[in-house]
Amino acid sequence: MTGLLRRTGPLSPLLAGFVLMAGGLTVRDVAGGLAGLAALALAAPFALAGSRVSWLRLLAGVLALASVTWSNWLLASPRELEPALVAGLRVAFFVVPGIVLAAFVDPSELGDHLGQRLRLPARPVLAGVAALQQLDDLGQEWASMARARRVRGLGPDRSPVSQVRFAADLTFSLLVQALRRAERMTVAMEARGYADLARPGPDRARRTWLHPAPWTGADTTLVVLAAAVALVPVLLPLVVPPGS
Amino acid sequence: MKTGMRARVQARGLGWTPLGATSPVLCGIDLEVGPGERVLLAGPSGSGKSTLLRALAGVLEGVEAGDPTGRVTRPEGERVGLLLQDPRDARVADRVGRDVAYGPENAGLPRPEIRERIAWALDAVAFPYGPERLTSALSGGEAQRLALAGVLAARPGLLLLDEPTSMLDDASARRVRDAVLAAVAGTDIALVVVEHRLAPWVGVLDRLVVLGGRGSASPGGLLADGPLEAVLAERGPELLDTGVWVPGAPPPTPIAVPARLVAPRTPPAGDVVVASGAGLVRAPRRRLLGRTRTAPVVALEGVDAVVRAGGLLAVRGPSGAGKSSLVDLLVGLDAPTSGSVGATPALAAGLRPDLARWSSRELAARVGWVPQAAEATIVGSTVRDCLLAGARALRRPEAEAGARAEGLAEILGLTHALDRNPHRLSGGETRRLAVASALVHGPGLLGLDEPTVGQDRHTWAAVAGLAGAAADAGLGVVVSTHDGDLAAHAHDVLTLREGRVA
Amino acid sequence: MSTTERHVPGRAGRGRTVRASGGLLAWRGLDLVTTAVLGVAFGVVFIVWDYALNTPWTGLTSAFPPAGSLALGVWLLPAVAGGLLVRRPGAALLCEMIAALLEFWLGNPWGAGVLVSGLLQGAGAEIGFALLGFRRFGPVAAMLAGAVAAALPVVAYEWWTYSLEYSWPWKLASLGFSVTSGVLLAGLGSWALVRALARAGAIDAFPAGREHLAARG
Repeated sequence: MTGLLRRTGPLSPLLAGFVLMAGGLTVRDVAGGLAGLAALALAAPFALAGSRVSWLRLLAGVLALASVTWSNWLLASPRELEPALVAGLRVAFFVVPGIVLAAFVDPSELGDHLGQRLRLPARPVLAGVAALQQLDDLGQEWASMARARRVRGLGPDRSPVSQVRFAADLTFSLLVQALRRAERMTVAMEARGYADLARPGPDRARRTWLHPAPWTGADTTLVVLAAAVALVPVLLPLVVPPGS
Repeated sequence: MKTGMRARVQARGLGWTPLGATSPVLCGIDLEVGPGERVLLAGPSGSGKSTLLRALAGVLEGVEAGDPTGRVTRPEGERVGLLLQDPRDARVADRVGRDVAYGPENAGLPRPEIRERIAWALDAVAFPYGPERLTSALSGGEAQRLALAGVLAARPGLLLLDEPTSMLDDASARRVRDAVLAAVAGTDIALVVVEHRLAPWVGVLDRLVVLGGRGSASPGGLLADGPLEAVLAERGPELLDTGVWVPGAPPPTPIAVPARLVAPRTPPAGDVVVASGAGLVRAPRRRLLGRTRTAPVVALEGVDAVVRAGGLLAVRGPSGAGKSSLVDLLVGLDAPTSGSVGATPALAAGLRPDLARWSSRELAARVGWVPQAAEATIVGSTVRDCLLAGARALRRPEAEAGARAEGLAEILGLTHALDRNPHRLSGGETRRLAVASALVHGPGLLGLDEPTVGQDRHTWAAVAGLAGAAADAGLGVVVSTHDGDLAAHAHDVLTLREGRVA
Repeated sequence: MSTTERHVPGRAGRGRTVRASGGLLAWRGLDLVTTAVLGVAFGVVFIVWDYALNTPWTGLTSAFPPAGSLALGVWLLPAVAGGLLVRRPGAALLCEMIAALLEFWLGNPWGAGVLVSGLLQGAGAEIGFALLGFRRFGPVAAMLAGAVAAALPVVAYEWWTYSLEYSWPWKLASLGFSVTSGVLLAGLGSWALVRALARAGAIDAFPAGREHLAARG
């Protein structure tokens, strides 16, 4: 069986994430939270079959949940375990699947869909997609500036103050390089017709897109599945009255 | 301009004064390029060649602040193609097909026609991969040919190239040039090429336009405009003065630098750093977005190399042979994954030999380094601060370092800029500043990575002069380069091929 | 034949606020691309911050979680800086959303929650600038934008998700810490950042850069 997420576009995983978030906010007690997580676990194979999940990234989410639970116990008045647990479960309900779903939103496809299906203005969408192509280069630029500073004797020592100062200095230099790059990118893009998209009036060329942005049955199924899971904590108190 | 045809672009009285500048970069330029004309545009660095190309492409006022004069006209509906120096700036998508499609998409072409254009354009530049190839997995030369394909896909009537090969090694540069020539051959595309190095384009282009720059006989205007061979014959010496690489002219003489400005604080003697059987495997790099990961790369394998005090070692070899990686090892930026790289006691002066593990200050006191992307070394808010940053980090006496900084600035033509922001310098000035900044605090070892790529004759002479003077003053100097003229000044040459000594 | 279009850059007098050229909504290509690249660059900074500094910071402040909010301003920098640089409605939102999308992709611990936070942070900064009619972009405007950008997501989102069980005094305390950080780190920090970028000559084509050139004479 091929999981839904291998056949969906980029919009339905996003939408599913938001649907689960809405559902998560309705978690009122531990039973609801656990039932919701159980529903998620049941639904997961349909969405994920044949895909790999980064457990490392999930770990970051688990740590975040621990900190939510901890702070909701520490700062509640009076301090009680159960509401804090509920707070953790509520957040777990949408954070964990959200982290998994993020891996299935392809940036380029998201651009296609934002432009064609959601009909967002093409220029900001294209600027965003083009800027994302610079991510790895900017990351490398950061690394090479850090190396250059090390050889110049400007590297940080172990003190947190010097580390923060070093990071601030690099951040500024990175932004300068990013702005330079943005100027040169604009030159290249405008010369390739980006400027024409801004021209007002009826003769303006309507932009076309190489790849279509279809909404398929798999997309609908994924959102319906997410909605069904999200309804579990909502409906549970109606089926099993709290306190029973 | 051929009779009966309209100009592809026409500038009349074109001028440009950047906001905040006192004199114009371009002034009163009259230029007309007709269909099928092949123009070489030359001029000293800072003479406004890129500015002129941007103006001809109609994108100047959208990205730079300044006062324009005159006008640029192009036929209604005609498309312009503009190819930039760094292909990374032209990348707009993650895959080759999407990237080439960008222009046709913006023009609103129907999908089948976009696909035809992609196939045609990739074929026109002899691109070795299909449309699904990741744009991040291309070499510099391949990326530049992809950028050219993206420009051609819009079917431009006017093609403007802004130093398209200056970041590439000779072999890649030739392929890009061949792709350009093949693409325009037999068409009436008007071509304007900006280059420092004229030789490869002679015989291919038929007209030479020379910009004067601010200091010339006609500040901001045209110094010469005529048939290429004739202008070269008549104005050769004048062109040399502007820093242009005129075909057939001997390489420039490295500038003379007094030893006291570059001498090490504690001059080493004998060998400075020794690599024996050094290997470097670069760990796989994960792309931040997307689920791909590069394979681990064997950059170097079993390399023996010695940098001597008072010697200039040139590391040569084709692109990807591991030249930069070897310099990285020798100056302590990376530790070898096999074999060893060690500083001799002459350099280490009491530290353990594995220089890759020295602290930032320990390393800085002994080593200077300038990467190919020299702007990475620029720090501080004035050129003076940048020159003195290393000395200050090492708590060296300000007066002594200051005197060296000012002396170097004078020789390198940077005195006027000492109190300016270093981020405002031109590419050539940045290169000179970076090399000077690596020497002010008196290290015993200097590593330079492709220091002359894309530079005009003036900056070439400055860099070669600094490297030579450093060696003469007793430093160990290692330079990775595919520039034969620079390597000719080296005492030792080591040639790498696929990570091994050839 | 058509003459290429030309816009006359706004003239800047000494000490006068330069507004975006061609009307507030006349986004130039440069405005869009720069805002987007700035968002990506901040994304890179966030990654470094996340790995190098945030984990020790969270550990340090776990004894007193509201103090953790003092670092919140760092995450608002794209919104306030984007708005200060481009000076058009939408710049803060676009810049912050692109940085948030990057966090979403690169494995942030909050899943899709980061997009909601980013949306509200960007919108908050927009509200801050709008309160001054997109006419003022000095330190006061920056601090106001930073304050609203910090407050909106706390009040409209975090109180109902991550900190639902906090008692009201603590909810207000975490709001206070957030706003303080928004005002100082994001507000004054962005203002100082944009000013430094103007000095470095990196933003001559933007209103803030033109103001700097005009002030220099």
